[in-house]
Amino acid sequence: MTFTILHEDGEVAVAGPTIAVGDLAAATGWELKAEGLCRGDVCVPVRDRAALVVDDAVAIEALGAALHRPVVVDADAGVAAIGADPVAVGTALRDRQAPDFTLPTLSGEQFSLSSVGRKKKVLIAWASW
Amino acid sequence: MYAELGELGFTVIAIALDEVEAAREWIEAANPTYPCVIDVDHRVAEQYGIINVPTAIWIDEDDRIVRPPDMTPVNDLFKDFTGIESEVHHNQLRAWVRDGELPLSLDRVAEFQNQPSANDQLARLHRRVGAWLHRAGHDEAAAPHFERAQTLAPWDWTVHRGAMPLTGRDPFGPEFFDYVKNWNEAGAPGYSWGNSALRRDLATEE
Repeated sequence: MTFTILHEDGEVAVAGPTIAVGDLAAATGWELKAEGLCRGDVCVPVRDRAALVVDDAVAIEALGAALHRPVVVDADAGVAAIGADPVAVGTALRDRQAPDFTLPTLSGEQFSLSSVGRKKKVLIAWASW
Repeated sequence: MYAELGELGFTVIAIALDEVEAAREWIEAANPTYPCVIDVDHRVAEQYGIINVPTAIWIDEDDRIVRPPDMTPVNDLFKDFTGIESEVHHNQLRAWVRDGELPLSLDRVAEFQNQPSANDQLARLHRRVGAWLHRAGHDEAAAPHFERAQTLAPWDWTVHRGAMPLTGRDPFGPEFFDYVKNWNEAGAPGYSWGNSALRRDLATEE
């Protein structure tokens, strides 16, 4: 049975809710380095490495705790979700910064807010429900 | 509005907080020329603090939010229900796009942003997992996630009402009207959406 992780860039299938350190970057985007957990230019220091890495593997709950992000793990159903960084979300809203996002259109093409460039924009969130 | 203002360095971006198949017929019927994306995971709701639909957020040329998330009907179909006239928003939009006039001073925008609590964020994750399990055909496994999400964030309509069609319930049925009644009796809680404070302040500042 595969296990699915829903994270901020999409979803990825892994072997289970515990990920080998060497597979962490491919599975979650986060790489364990000397500085901490790193993704692009961002590194989150890991205070308690022993709590994060057990038998050379990282449990998703432990990853969420180390990144200070909310996580939901359903081991029986084979799916987990890692949320956005609450501090980053709060800071952006307070500072009125519009976060970028990349989402598919109906035809499956990816669209990013940042591709619009210097225009006035109105986001309209809607739904059929 | 897009047809009228689209030439003036302005665009609408429509985000469906919906399943692809549910959004499809609406998008195909509208056949819009502006970008229309589908956010099955409600990621934009998480990033921008969106708790209901339809919600509009204004973003300027420098990617700064200049009008907080607010309920903004595109027409007057639900005017009696919401008490909001679409023309008010349309006129504010024209003034901004043409003349750069904002309805709310910038230092007040942050005040009306929806700062999510830890429970709000966890609720969105449970909803996301529930919706993923529903798409995978595991409705039994999805149910406790939807229930948990609604317990954690009872007044987030994207969590509560948005889950109705995924759990075989009618988002336009009696359960929804009970929900609205309870929401009103609780003082219409939750962020700025439907919050008369924002509407009052917008009217004052005009």
